[in-house]
Amino acid sequence: MANLIVFGILVLLFGSAIVYIVKAKRKGVKCIGCPHSGKSQCSCDDQVVNFKL
Amino acid sequence: MVGLFANGFGLKARSEKPTSLERAAIGETYTINAIKTTDDEMKHFLFTLGCFEGEHVTLVSVLSDLYVISVKDARYSIDRELASAIGID
Amino acid sequence: MKIALAGNPNSGKTTLFNALTGSQEKVGNWAGVTIEKKIGTLKSKFNPTKEDIAIVDLPGAYSMSPFTSEESITRAFVIEEHPDVIINIVDATNLNRSLFFTTQLLDLGIPVVVALNKTDLLTRDQTVLDVKSLKERMKCAFVKTVATKTQENGLDLLIKEAVAISGQKQETPFQVPSEALRAAQYDAKIAETQDRARYDFVKEVVRSVEKRQVENRRETIQDKVDRVVAHKWLGIPIFGVVMWLVFSVSQTYLGPFLADTFVGWIDAFYSMVENAMGDSVSPLLSSLLLDGVIGGVGAVVGFLPLIMVLFFMLALLEDCGYMARVAVVMDRFLKRVGLSGKSIIPMVIGTGCAIPGIMATRTIKNERQRRTTAMLTPFMPCGAKLPVIALFSGAFFSDAAWVGTTMYFMGIALIVFGAMIVVRITGEKNKRTYFIMELPEYRFPSIKRAALSMLDRAKAFIIKAGTIILLCNALVQIMQTFNWQFQVVEEGMESTSILASIASPFAVLLIPLGFGAWQLAAAAITGFIAKENVVGTLAVVYGITNFIDPDALELVGGGGSVAEIMGLTSAAALAYLVFNLFTPPCFAAIGAMNAEMENKKWLFGGIAFQLGTGYVTAFIVYQVGTLLTTGSVGTGFIPGIIVVGLMIAAVITLMRRGDRMTVPKPEAHLA
Repeated sequence: MANLIVFGILVLLFGSAIVYIVKAKRKGVKCIGCPHSGKSQCSCDDQVVNFKL
Repeated sequence: MVGLFANGFGLKARSEKPTSLERAAIGETYTINAIKTTDDEMKHFLFTLGCFEGEHVTLVSVLSDLYVISVKDARYSIDRELASAIGID
Repeated sequence: MKIALAGNPNSGKTTLFNALTGSQEKVGNWAGVTIEKKIGTLKSKFNPTKEDIAIVDLPGAYSMSPFTSEESITRAFVIEEHPDVIINIVDATNLNRSLFFTTQLLDLGIPVVVALNKTDLLTRDQTVLDVKSLKERMKCAFVKTVATKTQENGLDLLIKEAVAISGQKQETPFQVPSEALRAAQYDAKIAETQDRARYDFVKEVVRSVEKRQVENRRETIQDKVDRVVAHKWLGIPIFGVVMWLVFSVSQTYLGPFLADTFVGWIDAFYSMVENAMGDSVSPLLSSLLLDGVIGGVGAVVGFLPLIMVLFFMLALLEDCGYMARVAVVMDRFLKRVGLSGKSIIPMVIGTGCAIPGIMATRTIKNERQRRTTAMLTPFMPCGAKLPVIALFSGAFFSDAAWVGTTMYFMGIALIVFGAMIVVRITGEKNKRTYFIMELPEYRFPSIKRAALSMLDRAKAFIIKAGTIILLCNALVQIMQTFNWQFQVVEEGMESTSILASIASPFAVLLIPLGFGAWQLAAAAITGFIAKENVVGTLAVVYGITNFIDPDALELVGGGGSVAEIMGLTSAAALAYLVFNLFTPPCFAAIGAMNAEMENKKWLFGGIAFQLGTGYVTAFIVYQVGTLLTTGSVGTGFIPGIIVVGLMIAAVITLMRRGDRMTVPKPEAHLA
């Protein structure tokens, strides 16, 4: 019985981690759990280096 | 090549009358007499900043390779390439 | 209804956009070009109408003259979007410059409201502006705004005005006959004459409406600070001291204090689960849960307090404007070795995460410079590498702040060195580029903004720990528990496990670097999935539940247990750290490199270069370090020096070949 419960917990943990990763990848997130990895932050003009990132 | 050597000896040349903003004195106001570049896009870019013949320009400060200039009441930090293209009296 | 925002860079456009829309922006790409466009919905508190109002943020531009490519893009954007109203954000402190763009916008015939932004600075400088006659002369609406304020900032008035004039026909104050405009499209000379007349018109208008007390060409206190902080040479040691302080606080003082409490909780949780399971659970399952999941993830998460303090301090530095000055100092070196002046932006972003950094290289026009920057950006220690740095400086160097500081400087040095090599290999000498930098003004850093940034990154860290790190640790645990016959590995026979047999061949290669154990090789390999995995895997393979000792108020260190278990000398530990930091970052970053380089030869060349750099620097660190500490070279010196020598020889051959490819070109730039 205890084995089943622990097994269940592990499956739940791994399952939810996998589901999260698959969902994030489908949304086009390039790096899971990286700050601002979905978008490029700089909308710089061609010759202007702007530091308001 | 001339430009390359001028960089290296920039300090010594400062006492002479500068011909471009690259060797201008900090805090001085000059009149732009020419934009010395064959790159049309660069010339145009300087134009849109208000840097063209007849305008006044002040060198506010030099930070590392950046030249902080004031032209038409606006401030820009331009790099050495742009500064060397601005010919001054 | 649709409102477009247009204005010069640095006019406060982004601040205004965020204030009007909140943060729910959507980022899209403009058709055909890679500049992103931002669309948001106007907050309901500003919206006087019943329908939704869309706000489109146009790319910042200094003018809209039809002659150069990027500026006609702005023009095309306005036409493509056909907004009902254009809000032109103007920096009220330099009308002479900004109204030029305004007159061009007015020519389009779309109703324009000008937001006279930064009017608080006018009061400060005692500049008097006659807005009424400005309206008359420019034939359009003007509204005073202060976008940085949250109250009484003039934004509701601005929107009311915009809604009121939508649908009207816009007059233009500076009439250019349409045939002359058409002629200007084909002739730069005519265009320039027109634009000069436009400038003269603006000058005349400003002279009649503005009374200035202070000239902005005077040197301010900010300029004086900049002369020291962004000084050519002084700037570098100042940055060193600042980083050292950041690492001292986060790693030696405040960080370990917080981490200690936090790790206590993780430990308590571990024991609680252990007790709850008792003996009734099969040892396979219980060790998977305890050592694989809780131990492995806990080891990584245990560094969260340290990392959060570090993130917070870095955010403060960025917020007060200091980071931009560092960029000014470093930029000089990048330009000298043939990178673009804009290469500094990806590197600054890369300190957070290499992927957005690599993506930011797309603003670099020159192909070689863009690819080289994408290849070198990952050398900046990113957020994921911080736990690794924290672990090694804690376990082997008793939390010395110099370790982290040195890693940042080493990253910068490797970038400069790498760029020098790549320039020679590709045989393309510096293409001259030029740019202007928008330096933000110094300001007192906002605790709130820094805290938000820190929480944002902490959240990302936890998500990563709970997903990728968790799965990897479980996998590592399973692979080290079983052998290839899927039998449980007996005690003393650990080297027969699946994990050991996969990692061992790699470990052989690492002997000359001082860390030829399969456990360390396995951790380095899982590090390619995510760098935090190095910490997690080490915890799992060495059965260490946490790296931070909750009993003593410091990281386990000073020759303490972690160092003993791993059996590494300080030189080897430093070499292992360097190896993990300066090899290819992670698969996700390699994917981003692939996307931005758009060339397989560059991609594989880049990966090979990164692997080689990691190997060579680790070799040098270990062998020189061992020589200095013990007086003789480390193990595997001879085979190592052969491998390293071959790598260097290959690079030199490529560089020679590159040199021959170069035809010396006369400098066309200076007439």
